[in-house]
Amino acid sequence: MTKQNTLRDVEKKAYMSYHQDGLIDIMVGLYAAAFGLGIFADKVLDFNFAVIMPGIMIAIVLPIWIAAKRKITMPRIGYVNFGARGSNKLFAIFLGLMVAGLGVFFLFTLATAQNGRPVWIDTIFQYGMIVIGLGAALIASLFAYTMGLKRLHGYGLLTLALFTSGHFLALPFEYLLLIVGSVIIACGAALLTQFLRRYPLQKGDMDNVAQ
Amino acid sequence: MSPSDEGIQNVDRLIHEPSRLTIMMHLYVVESADFQFLQYQTGMTPGNLSSHLRKLEDAGYVEVTKEFVDRTPHTALRLTRKGRDAFKEYRRNVKRFIDKLPE
Repeated sequence: MTKQNTLRDVEKKAYMSYHQDGLIDIMVGLYAAAFGLGIFADKVLDFNFAVIMPGIMIAIVLPIWIAAKRKITMPRIGYVNFGARGSNKLFAIFLGLMVAGLGVFFLFTLATAQNGRPVWIDTIFQYGMIVIGLGAALIASLFAYTMGLKRLHGYGLLTLALFTSGHFLALPFEYLLLIVGSVIIACGAALLTQFLRRYPLQKGDMDNVAQ
Repeated sequence: MSPSDEGIQNVDRLIHEPSRLTIMMHLYVVESADFQFLQYQTGMTPGNLSSHLRKLEDAGYVEVTKEFVDRTPHTALRLTRKGRDAFKEYRRNVKRFIDKLPE
């Protein structure tokens, strides 16, 4: 029997084991990196990729994540339905990604608009990189708290540190997004490797043992 | 039998067994789970888990249903209403008994 004291611990362990596969990290990293590539493509191809990138990425990344969960995670640690609470957390992920993508797009659009705007907006955009970094750290903390995944705090802090450096060193926004995305993907890949080693595929159908 | 002993007599002995208590705890915090997930979470052997699950199923505490996930058959295990109520009652009784114990 495992050493668990409270039902909350049991619930947390069950939930965490389902999200230690690194898939969510890879997807979030892909989202950030693809958004950076979109902005990069904007400049090279003179087509507004940054406008459609958040939508495209959600349409691509979300089904891939769900399929990967079914093909990689479930055959290894089994299937669990967390009920309404689990669904709410998944919905929070989806909503958070939407808000983050649209927020960055909104800031980027305003920052690159040619027409006049209020002074306070100019002040915000003067420190746009830091504002975006703070926003990312805030969103990451929100996710970390909601999902109980402490490593998301680290991603938020990394984004804040990089974007603050980017502000003072005048580094292009898209490069910073690519760096953040790549780091998160690398962490996700490391977690996925660890997960695959810890939970190898079981031979035979263990599902029927209970029968 | 002292009054404090009477409290422990009310504790559901089927749930009180450590392995079955672990299974009940894990199923209590989720809507449903399959055998493999439960095995990883509890750390029990397939035979042991299977045997305890059968006892809980016979008591009407656990429901075993066959369903399809992505066209793949799998066995879902969930606590029945009776099982959830029994677990809540078990927690209440154990807490009541422990609270009565002298420091």
